[in-house]
Amino acid sequence: MLNTILFVLILGPFIAGALCFIIRSGHVRSFIVLAMGCLIATASIILFIKGPFSHTPPPLLGIPTHFLVLWGDDLLLFVMLYFAFKHGHLFTKILIIFQIVCLDYFELFMVDHTENFPLFFADNLSLIMVLIISIVGSLICVFAIPYMNKHEEHQGLKKSRQPKFFAFLVVIIGAMNGLVLSNNIIFMYMFFEITTLGSFMLISHDQNETAINNAVRALWMNCVAGAAFIIAMIWAYVIQGTVDAQKLIQAGHMGGIMLTPLALLCFAAMVKAAQIPFQSWLLGAMVAPTPTSALLHSSTMVKAGVYIALRFAPGYAGTFLSQSLAVSGAFAFLATSAMAIRESNGKKVLAYSTIGNLGLIFACAGINTPEAITAGILLIIFHAFSKALLFLCVGDIEQHIGSRDIEVMRGLYARMPRTTLIAVLGIVTMMLPPFGVLLSKWMAIEAASKHLFVILPLAVGSAMMVVYWARWAGILLSAPHGLKVEPEKQGLLTRFPLLVLVWGAVVLSLCAPLVYSKLVVPILSAPSFSIRAGIFENPTGTFLFYPVMLILALGFIYAVYAAKKARKARLSGPYLCGAQTTDPESFEGPMKKPVAVLSGAIYFESIFGNQKLTVWVNIFGGMLLALLVGGSL
Amino acid sequence: MIKGIIMVFIGVFVAPLLGGLIAGVDRRLTAWFQSRYGPPVWQPFFDVIKLFGKERMVVNRWLVFCAHVYITAAMLSVVLFFLQSDLLLILFVQAVGAIFLVIGALSTTSPYSQLGANRELIQILTYEPLIILAFVGIYLVTGSFRISEILVQTKPLLVSLPLLYIALCYALTIKLRKSPFDFSTSHHAHQELVKGFLTEYSGPYLALVEIGHWYEVVLILGLCSLFWATSWIGIIALVGVTYFCEILIDNVTARLTWRWMLGYVWPMGLAMGFVNLIWLHGR
Repeated sequence: MLNTILFVLILGPFIAGALCFIIRSGHVRSFIVLAMGCLIATASIILFIKGPFSHTPPPLLGIPTHFLVLWGDDLLLFVMLYFAFKHGHLFTKILIIFQIVCLDYFELFMVDHTENFPLFFADNLSLIMVLIISIVGSLICVFAIPYMNKHEEHQGLKKSRQPKFFAFLVVIIGAMNGLVLSNNIIFMYMFFEITTLGSFMLISHDQNETAINNAVRALWMNCVAGAAFIIAMIWAYVIQGTVDAQKLIQAGHMGGIMLTPLALLCFAAMVKAAQIPFQSWLLGAMVAPTPTSALLHSSTMVKAGVYIALRFAPGYAGTFLSQSLAVSGAFAFLATSAMAIRESNGKKVLAYSTIGNLGLIFACAGINTPEAITAGILLIIFHAFSKALLFLCVGDIEQHIGSRDIEVMRGLYARMPRTTLIAVLGIVTMMLPPFGVLLSKWMAIEAASKHLFVILPLAVGSAMMVVYWARWAGILLSAPHGLKVEPEKQGLLTRFPLLVLVWGAVVLSLCAPLVYSKLVVPILSAPSFSIRAGIFENPTGTFLFYPVMLILALGFIYAVYAAKKARKARLSGPYLCGAQTTDPESFEGPMKKPVAVLSGAIYFESIFGNQKLTVWVNIFGGMLLALLVGGSL
Repeated sequence: MIKGIIMVFIGVFVAPLLGGLIAGVDRRLTAWFQSRYGPPVWQPFFDVIKLFGKERMVVNRWLVFCAHVYITAAMLSVVLFFLQSDLLLILFVQAVGAIFLVIGALSTTSPYSQLGANRELIQILTYEPLIILAFVGIYLVTGSFRISEILVQTKPLLVSLPLLYIALCYALTIKLRKSPFDFSTSHHAHQELVKGFLTEYSGPYLALVEIGHWYEVVLILGLCSLFWATSWIGIIALVGVTYFCEILIDNVTARLTWRWMLGYVWPMGLAMGFVNLIWLHGR
């Protein structure tokens, strides 16, 4: 049973990807993607119900598993090398050749393959990740079916590029499942590299100059992560003589000698999660079709980074590495919030907010108390749903209005009421109580309160976050006066993922105490909060979760009722100092000519809009990373 | 249990009365500073009653929705305060109201409302970090974010947190929208602003916003009172002096720009707060 489920979750997407690539019929492809989505979502739920396990599956087709991994790794690296040569990027070539040499030497001459330990290990952290990857990831793939058809209509291609696109879209899901379930660190490395290649292929999908440049940038940055990973792996093996991740975590705690490999792993994780100064690859990924961004940002790829940091967190608890990780993460949170506040490009705002939230998760991993780890894990869960939802909304909006600029979305409510309401709800779940993201942020702030260099960036950064979210939500609603709101047409395959995600985000938040006590507590060394009647409580603070939710919900319902009742109220035009013409949206200007009313939001160009700011932020972020690695040598 | 019910009662019913009364006293004092006679102390209540009697007129129905969410959140935050709950939770619940008020203002196309809403967001941006730092300071002294833990302290918090109290006073001035920080909306008539982000709230809905603001005034002064919560005389003296200074500053300063506010309050407030945190941490 377990073998079958693991096969479905990890290799299933690879098979589906291969089928998508080979069978070039649109309908068959849609069917394969849908079927795979249902299958792995179900499998992930079954796996979750079965609970934690450690397991070694029998060799596939009679070939020892480590051979498969070695071949797979080599194949993968040579494919990446091919692309490095194709695009003539010297640094990438060096990095990949370095990885090939190290890996082959390591696998063939160093590692003792007779060592006996479970190849797969899952505690609740892995199981939560599998659930998020499989469910959110599948929903994004489903959304991609109608989206990509429309996308290609716009491009007017002779030959559809969709087979390759969907192949890599689903492969990334399989690789992520593999990554979070592996206990052998060599497996982990292989899946880590597959996500690198997959994201490279997806980003370069449109094949124009920007797409290729950004894809190459993503490739070299992620290769830096891969190289750091492989050095960490070999270093750890030299010290501990094992590739069993669980043993490495336990060993890390004992001596300072294990700290360097762990620091390199954290470094790799931070690059993967696009932390400063490596944020540009994730921002560049925005050129790809929206499902790619949604997938990379919410459930896969960047989540691989934070997963690794949280997985190895017990190994570096209480060390300098832990502290510098916390400071680094908090700085990324602050810097990206400042960058997001100056953006009017909706997708970029989402991207910066992703990097910021990942920074917060790293900060939590670095603080490394049970409270902080709880905050980090809850943030992964809630962020995945809300962020996937927002990306899909922006994708849908972009296909309708032809722009991703927030100012162009002004008054979108009149044109796309359904999507707009879903997007506004998504934004609210990202920033306000009683929703899960804010609950985790509360935990994070309370856990960070003893760390002065963490709490200051968190305090300033979260205020900035509120500004850019609120601004966006308000602009979406600012419809011109008296415009009739038209009901919106939306295809089934577009509507279904949006509805599931928005309900997921809301219902998961409703169940936050349950999520905490059933999912998170078993992973922690000691429970961080006691829960009574939906109240989170520990010596530091109290979060009256259900009481607050109840009152706010009642207020919300009454507000909706009052707004409905206001239908009878007299409508008046917006205030224009009495200079209104008969059209409520224009005023009487010079020579009695009507002038249309225009207003724009403040984007703080004079303060945060400076390109120099980015340079300094990158330099400072780089120094913090140097501190992180150098401090643990 | 009975104590809890009394506290909820105070939070829901007594707090707005107190807030309205404070607004009345504020107007009388301001009049006194300006050598005017000023309105009766009960004038804010008369104003609100009159607003409730006005015809309902709206630009769009989002405003109605947002005004109701605002007053719910404001009320809830005050109730949580009187129930001696978690400080950060109170701040976040209060933020729900503040944000929805802005979203409502942004949902109209009036330029006054739009500009005011953007400026209000900048005000939120400026004061939120200061308040969070003040709470962190309280945590470092008492070991908890719960108000109930503050009340069992034997030494006033002001002794350990003097700089953070000053930083909090900046936040207070911004939150009360007093001069020199009254550029999102203002109690006085200003031509360039009209009524800022409250321009489009009218009639009964403006009355709700006004009552919500009374709740918020009580909440903020309540937060100030925590700094000398060891005796009633301390509370009254501290809150009285602080509010008197607020009114004085309101009357002797002119409104400046948001760039000035951000560029002045952040470095000053954050630096003072941080220094205070460092010396607490060093102990």
